[in-house]
Amino acid sequence: MDNSNEQNKEMTAQESLDLISEMLNNNRRCILQNSAKHFILWGALLLVFSIAIYELLHVTRDLRWNLLWFAMPVLGFPLARLLGKKGTVVPQNVISVQLHYIWLAYCAFAVVISIVAMFEMPSCITLLLVALLGFAECSSGLLLKNWPIIIGGFILGVGGAVVAMLVRSEAQLLVFAAGGLILAATGLIVKSQYQ
Amino acid sequence: MTMFPKLDPILHSELRLAVMSILIGVDEADFTYLKKQTGATSGNLSVQIDKLMAAGYITVEKGFKGKVPHTTCKITTAGQEAFNKYVESLKEYLSASK
Repeated sequence: MDNSNEQNKEMTAQESLDLISEMLNNNRRCILQNSAKHFILWGALLLVFSIAIYELLHVTRDLRWNLLWFAMPVLGFPLARLLGKKGTVVPQNVISVQLHYIWLAYCAFAVVISIVAMFEMPSCITLLLVALLGFAECSSGLLLKNWPIIIGGFILGVGGAVVAMLVRSEAQLLVFAAGGLILAATGLIVKSQYQ
Repeated sequence: MTMFPKLDPILHSELRLAVMSILIGVDEADFTYLKKQTGATSGNLSVQIDKLMAAGYITVEKGFKGKVPHTTCKITTAGQEAFNKYVESLKEYLSASK
């Protein structure tokens, strides 16, 4: 853009529409870049927590290590907040608010299901949580109109659910590790797309 | 180059149009974000924001984030209507010139 002092140069209709389009696309790019940062953060956390809990369960055979899952949101939310404040603050719009609600709903589902599972361990908890995680990612991709996120979410949800049906006991935690990897990889792809 | 004497003169300015195009797509945006997206200087951006505010197209809230001054801009209903009318006029002009 021309940064002359008055900035009142006459524009053609096409130049004006191009400028409007450029600014709207820049907004979209900023929101996608911001989402990518959160995919990377939560993907990395999921990967680290699932591998750590898998190892602890494998070595000690003590199911109480599953309680460590509750440390993930405790650590993740302050980190996400810190990430949001880093650099230029990206303004909110209808899409970013909807994305926020999708992931907040997933978090609520995951926490409540995990609490219920502490008392009555259902055999399908991994399947349920991984399918919901994939659904949340896929829905985010549809809102953002971004194919890598849509495909990543589909692979994570459907692929993860199928694998969860096939594996047993603590090996199911590796499904979450793969899910974390897909989530973080999706974030990295989106980040590289819009750099 | 074709000129537009009938277009809204407040919007028919490169930087003001850029600011309005950003604000139309978000709930609100702070000064730093607008400056980064438009690539304008602080002084120039302030002048154009004041003009948009004087026209009633945006509201400006000045405050502090900690000890740092923080300015937030938000498009008004009048601003949204003016912007939509401006875009419609541009489209009409383009279709007429084809």
